[in-house]
Amino acid sequence: MPDKPAATPGTRLTFWESMLRIPRQVVYLFIALAVIVPLFAPFVIRPTPSEPVVSLYNVIDSMPLERALVLSVDYTPDIEPELHPMTIVLLRHAFARRLKVGVLCLQIPGIGLADMAINQVVEEFNSRARTPQDSLRYGVDYIFWGFQTPLLTVLTGMGEDITKVFPVDANRTRTDSLPISREIRNYNNIGMVVSIAGSSLPLSWITYAQTVFGVKIGTGITAVSAADFYPYYSKTRQFSGLLAGMKGAAEYEQLVADGYPRSTAGLRRLATERMASQTTAHAAIMLLIIIGNVAFFATRKRKVKS
Amino acid sequence: MSHDPWVWVAAILTLAVFSFLYRENPFYRVAEHLVVGVANGYFITAEYHQILKPGLIDLIARGQLNIELVLSVLGALLGLLYVMRFFPKASWLVRIPIAITLGYGSGYAIPRGMDASVLRQVGGTLVTPSDFTHFPALMAQAGQQLAHWRIDQALLSVLNAFGQPIIMLGAIATVAYFYFSSERKGILKPLSTAGIVFIMLGFGASFGYTVMARISLLIGRFQFLFRDWLGLIH
Repeated sequence: MPDKPAATPGTRLTFWESMLRIPRQVVYLFIALAVIVPLFAPFVIRPTPSEPVVSLYNVIDSMPLERALVLSVDYTPDIEPELHPMTIVLLRHAFARRLKVGVLCLQIPGIGLADMAINQVVEEFNSRARTPQDSLRYGVDYIFWGFQTPLLTVLTGMGEDITKVFPVDANRTRTDSLPISREIRNYNNIGMVVSIAGSSLPLSWITYAQTVFGVKIGTGITAVSAADFYPYYSKTRQFSGLLAGMKGAAEYEQLVADGYPRSTAGLRRLATERMASQTTAHAAIMLLIIIGNVAFFATRKRKVKS
Repeated sequence: MSHDPWVWVAAILTLAVFSFLYRENPFYRVAEHLVVGVANGYFITAEYHQILKPGLIDLIARGQLNIELVLSVLGALLGLLYVMRFFPKASWLVRIPIAITLGYGSGYAIPRGMDASVLRQVGGTLVTPSDFTHFPALMAQAGQQLAHWRIDQALLSVLNAFGQPIIMLGAIATVAYFYFSSERKGILKPLSTAGIVFIMLGFGASFGYTVMARISLLIGRFQFLFRDWLGLIH
């Protein structure tokens, strides 16, 4: 809010002056209501996928089955509402296509969140499996490598031998004893790495994995950092696709729902169901910005006249 | 309402953090300190179980002398030199691991960073004839969209048609704005003014995205409170 005009004792505030003196707690309450009401009375928003989202979807959707999708889950619980839906929908897409999937973490807080996402999606698919062959098996169809450091060693080492970078997986099982390790040996067997992060880690994937080994990189990022990452997509195509914030996740959910209706029918679309609240909150903020500006200019005009 | 005690803990802590919106209070302080403590504990245990134990302790416990063990022990010894900072007489030893990490990191990062973040990005701002391949089609598309009163779509098509020259102009104008070595007159004056416009557009986009990000987090918390904790939303 702009600086509050000082109230002169004994004078009544005009409507616009009182608008500039709204307590911040009232503003918070207004925004909270704008978010909460659509949670109770949701309305359907069908996201229109934007070009970077479609591009990411197309790369994963056209990836040869002998190539694996690797997800680098590097976000903290505080930004989980934005990025977790991306991890879930990317796993759903990969498993719906029966792609091999490897998940790793370059930041410690990602371990628990990645584990949660894998368990959820594997459970979703296995509860619908009709035959044992339809089921997703750990160490055969997917692997969770867990956390490893330092960054430089991990990103470059994966170009040679992943089992040396991750000698044990997140469950302390020797990775060289798992069948999937014979199929995902290094970047040559990886169709794409999607870095889902709330930091600059996706750029590290570009710098070390793509520049040196030529592996395709996609990214899922928080909306805050989206403007910084777009230049790496727009013309240079260093990112093969990009999901920006909850909106990007909702768009991807729409593409997967349209592309794989049988595999994803009845599943919760976390980002999409939150978009109604997002829309009303944006409208509320725009309204506040307009009120604030009109009140500012209206009171300034009055001051100049007086 | 949830019967999971951990959901209750999370909900109470969420409310404690939200209470800061009213004003600073002891509930918020407790939650803040708890986050710091728990995060540190979690980081230390995860580092131990994921890195130190399989990478060093298990190798030593196995007792097989091989190159993997030698390299791991050597790395651990180098790492231990960081502790020398606490001993004033031997604190100079800390320079050894710092020098190795810095030298290795810089040597590896600078050429690749230059390639990925400078050369490729500069290349991305250049205008080439191929950038105009779709120009007639995009303009025709814009015309059709305008005829159907889809003004936003038409505007997007026009921007796409002129996208690359706009990016090039934006890059040059923004760099010109930050050029302080001569007085702003002649061509530099309108360029730097255009630079401000591009910078403001960038800030506007960032602000819009920031609002979206923060609201997303708020939605996530409210959904947790009303769905997972209170069970009011299904």
